[in-house]
Amino acid sequence: MEPTSPSKNSPFPGPEHQEPQTSVPAAASPWKEAFRQLVKNKLAIVGMIIIGFFILIAIFAPLLTTYTYQSMSAADRLQPPSSTHWFGTDDLGRDIFTRIVYGARISLMVGFFAVIGALVFGSLLGIIAGYFGRWIDMIISRIFDIMLAFPSILLAIAIVAILGPSLQNALIAIAIINIPIFGRLVRSKVISIREEEYILAAKAQGMKSGRILFHHVLPNSTAPIIVQATLGFGTAILEAAALGFLGLGAQPPTPEWGRMLSDSRQYIQSAPWTVLFPGLSIMLVVLGFNMIGDGLRDALDPKMKS
Amino acid sequence: MKKALFLSIAAGTVLTFTACGDNGDTNNTETDNNAAETDNNAAETNNNEAGNEDGEEAAQPAEDQTLIYARGGDSVSLDYASVTDGESSRVTQQIYESLLSFDEDSFEIGPGLAEDWEVEDDGLRYVFQLREGVTFHDGTEFNAEAVKLNFERWADPDHEYHFADEGYAYSVYGTQFGGFEGDDGHVIEEINVLDDHEVEFVLNETLGSFIQNMGMSYFAMTSPAAFEEYGSAINENPVGTGPFQFVSWSKDDSIVLEKYEDYWQEDLPKLDQVIFQVIPDNSARLTSLRSGEIDIMDGLNPDDIDALEGEEGIQMFERATNNIGYLGFNEDKEPFDDPEVRRALNHAIDKEGLISLLYAGMAEPAKNLIPPDYLGYNDDIDPYEYDPELAEQMLDDAGHAGLEIDLWTMPVARPYMPDPERAAEVMQANFADIGVTANIVSMEWATYLEQTEAGEHDLFMLGWSGVNGDPDYFFGNLLHSDAIPGGNRNFYRSDEVDSLLDQAKTSIDEDERVELYEEAQEIIHEDAPMIPLVHSIPVLAGSENVQNYVPHPQTSEPLTEVEISE
Repeated sequence: MEPTSPSKNSPFPGPEHQEPQTSVPAAASPWKEAFRQLVKNKLAIVGMIIIGFFILIAIFAPLLTTYTYQSMSAADRLQPPSSTHWFGTDDLGRDIFTRIVYGARISLMVGFFAVIGALVFGSLLGIIAGYFGRWIDMIISRIFDIMLAFPSILLAIAIVAILGPSLQNALIAIAIINIPIFGRLVRSKVISIREEEYILAAKAQGMKSGRILFHHVLPNSTAPIIVQATLGFGTAILEAAALGFLGLGAQPPTPEWGRMLSDSRQYIQSAPWTVLFPGLSIMLVVLGFNMIGDGLRDALDPKMKS
Repeated sequence: MKKALFLSIAAGTVLTFTACGDNGDTNNTETDNNAAETDNNAAETNNNEAGNEDGEEAAQPAEDQTLIYARGGDSVSLDYASVTDGESSRVTQQIYESLLSFDEDSFEIGPGLAEDWEVEDDGLRYVFQLREGVTFHDGTEFNAEAVKLNFERWADPDHEYHFADEGYAYSVYGTQFGGFEGDDGHVIEEINVLDDHEVEFVLNETLGSFIQNMGMSYFAMTSPAAFEEYGSAINENPVGTGPFQFVSWSKDDSIVLEKYEDYWQEDLPKLDQVIFQVIPDNSARLTSLRSGEIDIMDGLNPDDIDALEGEEGIQMFERATNNIGYLGFNEDKEPFDDPEVRRALNHAIDKEGLISLLYAGMAEPAKNLIPPDYLGYNDDIDPYEYDPELAEQMLDDAGHAGLEIDLWTMPVARPYMPDPERAAEVMQANFADIGVTANIVSMEWATYLEQTEAGEHDLFMLGWSGVNGDPDYFFGNLLHSDAIPGGNRNFYRSDEVDSLLDQAKTSIDEDERVELYEEAQEIIHEDAPMIPLVHSIPVLAGSENVQNYVPHPQTSEPLTEVEISE
């Protein structure tokens, strides 16, 4: 799911070397242009609608349902979808719709914080490695290589095993395994920017490394980071669900989608709705983020312009 | 773009459908070496439709007499006395026999390798007349010397076949016979070979369960020549006198046994081959049964019972309840050292709700440690009723309102607890109702047993199943202070109860034992070291062609009489 290979041609060129845009009014900023490209992309719009929908139900969860996600009832166990239980009930008689709605909060939250964490630390390490090069680059890159050599879910399992299973630790684990992905991306971007003349100019003016990094290098690397972050949302949610499925993520009674899947898997034949809706939710959210991510990449990559 | 679409759909679907694939962490093989829990679950055949109904049809025996028995986990070892897991004894019961044996559906004791026995000196001397003409699978003759050797092997830590250095331990021998050679409580003083087929046990103290113990699969007879040949590898090269002999074992997959042609019972066994197949997932096992790949399956999901009722070609078997699933307190930790807190929490659990949610009704709520049909069961005990308001009030009075606890749960399904994680969730909700926050803690099975034995827990779920039908097997292992550290994970210490249990254990007068156990149960009820949850009824399913299969109250039974019809 590597979204974009950092190309020499920056998708988001700095002001110093803006290419002449013929089809666009000269006043339009590159961001506006990218947005224009994005909204032209139907799949990206669909993705945004899906994600927007899930964000809304996550925010308004308590208003959407009259049940609580942990109340059990033996009389209502394994009820098929009906007007009283829209998505049916699970084996403990809990309303699945309610659990899905509250589960959206968990999944989106995990996705958001895991991506933010990975992005911040990954970018920081990537910039340092790319800009300073030499032995610093050597050490950081080798650490990234080592981390990437493990199948990511295995590494996540190992981290959770050390920290103990909980939602918070699953979030930390997912953030950690995604650090090298952002790190490498930023590093290669920085290496190409480092050689640009405007950086040389900045250096010649006596500008400090920190200022060059955060005022010139970083802003010029944002495009691939944004694309990767959007796609990373989907992956992070999927990884959280996988950890939940293995019992290493959210602990009961927290309604986490992956956990709901694994808890109900023995009813896949007798009560398929117990696994269908959590599975569908995971799929939709991941799909949504992937569509947006793809749309963004196309919009931000000058080579993709038709 | 297409790639991303495909990937996300694939990811979603894969996750949805791994759902039915493997079953992750539940239902594993148990690696329970420390005598922790004996899963020998219960039995007696309430509904033996199998045998009766099908018998009328005068079914013809099929040509291929191979029976495939599917189960959730593999055996730990085939050296029966050194392990306590039910999956091991399920296999060793086919290969090995004990001096006495239980009736096919109860703990009524009868002859086994010993044809007859006498009790002398008021229960201090037992003489067994051994069956003649019995040979081990390697051709060695079964005689009194073999009996003596087997018992001395377990009792004497310095015995050349005790294999202490290889990590072998015979904990059940220790609990059943009061310890090992040299221990104060060890009741077997000496074993004498009177003649080739007569052996005498001299005790230094009477033992109420001595005869019952002789029927346990833990105390079966291994060929003396096999010890010499295999040494400590005897656990993978079993040689007994039973109806089937060992062929092969491929770990975590299958164990193959074949008919022993020189078996001492005429015309038995009827099967030519028995294969114990491991299929970890309950649903996958049922699918295999439906497709005819296997003949009998253990561990039916309670939820599948309704669906199977009346299904063509399938029959179901019930084992009578012979177990207890419980939620224990660690009395060494605050605030569980306060009996008022323990009693309050007893009122918080909705056992009926638990049963209807998780057992599909195949269980009854428990109020005592031992199952209801046991000797000495005290039916006058007034159970702690489910009453959340009272529970909350009592907890408040004890000064522990809004308590936060760790609730430990088993990672594997057990006969008395088909879905422990779900059960924990239900109890978590029960506790939440009285303002108690319960954090569910789970870990790998062997670690779980180790850590609870070490007393790391607050509250823990576990259970116990009877293997000899004697109440002492429950009380002595779970609530006697001698079982700390060990089976008494409640760290319950009551001198009164200890002395009652000691008296009951050594008494051979049944009425006296009943009285002693009834009194002990009253004290235990008042002290509330645990919340007794359920006595469950494990259900098995099999192909209609399986004849004469009678589940025994233990986890398993010899398949000597079983036959496959056309």
